[in-house]
Amino acid sequence: MLPSGWEVTAAVLLAIVSFPVALVLTRFFIKINAKRGIVGIDIHKLTKPNIPEMCGASIPITLILLSAVYVLIGGGNSLMMLAFSLVVGSAAVVGALDDRLNMRGIYKPLLTLLCGLPIVALGLLYPNQVYNPTLQVPIFGVFHLPVIYPLSIPVAIAVTSNTTNMLDPLNGTMAGGVSIISAALLIGVVLTNPAPSSVFLYACLLFTALGFFYFNRYPSRAFAGNVGQLSVGAALGALAILSRNEIASIVAMFPNIQNSFFFLSKIKRFTEHRALTAKPTRLLDDGRLASSSDPKAPLTLVRTLLVGRPAKESEIVSTIFALYLISGALALITMILVG
Amino acid sequence: MKRLNQRAIALQLIVFLTQWGLMITGFGILALIVAPLRVQLDPSLGRYFDAGVKAMIALVLSIFWLFIWDRQVRLYFYRKKESAAEPV
Repeated sequence: MLPSGWEVTAAVLLAIVSFPVALVLTRFFIKINAKRGIVGIDIHKLTKPNIPEMCGASIPITLILLSAVYVLIGGGNSLMMLAFSLVVGSAAVVGALDDRLNMRGIYKPLLTLLCGLPIVALGLLYPNQVYNPTLQVPIFGVFHLPVIYPLSIPVAIAVTSNTTNMLDPLNGTMAGGVSIISAALLIGVVLTNPAPSSVFLYACLLFTALGFFYFNRYPSRAFAGNVGQLSVGAALGALAILSRNEIASIVAMFPNIQNSFFFLSKIKRFTEHRALTAKPTRLLDDGRLASSSDPKAPLTLVRTLLVGRPAKESEIVSTIFALYLISGALALITMILVG
Repeated sequence: MKRLNQRAIALQLIVFLTQWGLMITGFGILALIVAPLRVQLDPSLGRYFDAGVKAMIALVLSIFWLFIWDRQVRLYFYRKKESAAEPV
């Protein structure tokens, strides 16, 4: 048995492999999807280029592949890896279905509710080995939630996956944001409770997101599609539960929560962006983005950042990353306060 | 730093810090006051009734938390109600 420090180092080293794997897979999907006409229009550019869609499929594939390798070499908690892979895989299937079938807005949250069931089922079969229903609260200790906790798992997965799905309007926002969140939570896990499986999964998510970000950053050469966005969000939700970082994960996702809450509070229903009649932003003749003047338009995070100050897409993306850095730092402090 | 919207970041920092403080306080209320409560009517369903009542309290606190978030963003960014294009 290796000492814990070595186990953690080995976990991080294996997780680094996910970066080149995600790069190669994303490059593969760019070529294949462009050939098959699976493309989306980058509406925030004056030239309106066609960009290969659904390239984010590389993310769940990399995460599941690396988790399997980690278990096979005897490094990880196999139940945790199985639960994580099932959640990420099922969210990817929901996303792929939505990408191909353009489902109505309500189906996505309903179907992603089912994605949390593998954790609940495995938790019932193997009590206290998959999740722990005792919530750790910063400063104030813990409280036990034997009934509410398992019931809230599907809701948590549906919320994290859909909120991640909703905050990817500009080039690289989702991949960059998730990279910052995972880096902050990885540092927190290493500092507070360096369980090798948790360290591996956070590091794996970080390097996979970075691998995809290389092609997705401004100006994008690949779009994630729902398949990438939902699976990454589900991965964050699953990790929050499996590694017991529920509250810190909520804090890290503050930009996503703000975006989704204001979108839903204005629109008052689950709907797709493509179905909106009033868009939150408009493209100016000089290529900058401006806040919409339509009172019916949703108050998204991007629109909030553009109020009274049109800006280039790259500037807004950098500002969103700065917000993720703030929420990531607060999440790190939360984890230290939990201890 | 020139490429960032520093005013928006500063305002969002205030929003995030306030929400973070309120969130920890809310979880503190749940852990110290709500969780130790024993709400039981029917012994057979008592456990579920107890959990349900506590979940409702948590839900009310969450709605209050989101309401404060809503007010803050509207105050800092959208002072002129519902017409988002107007600068503060």
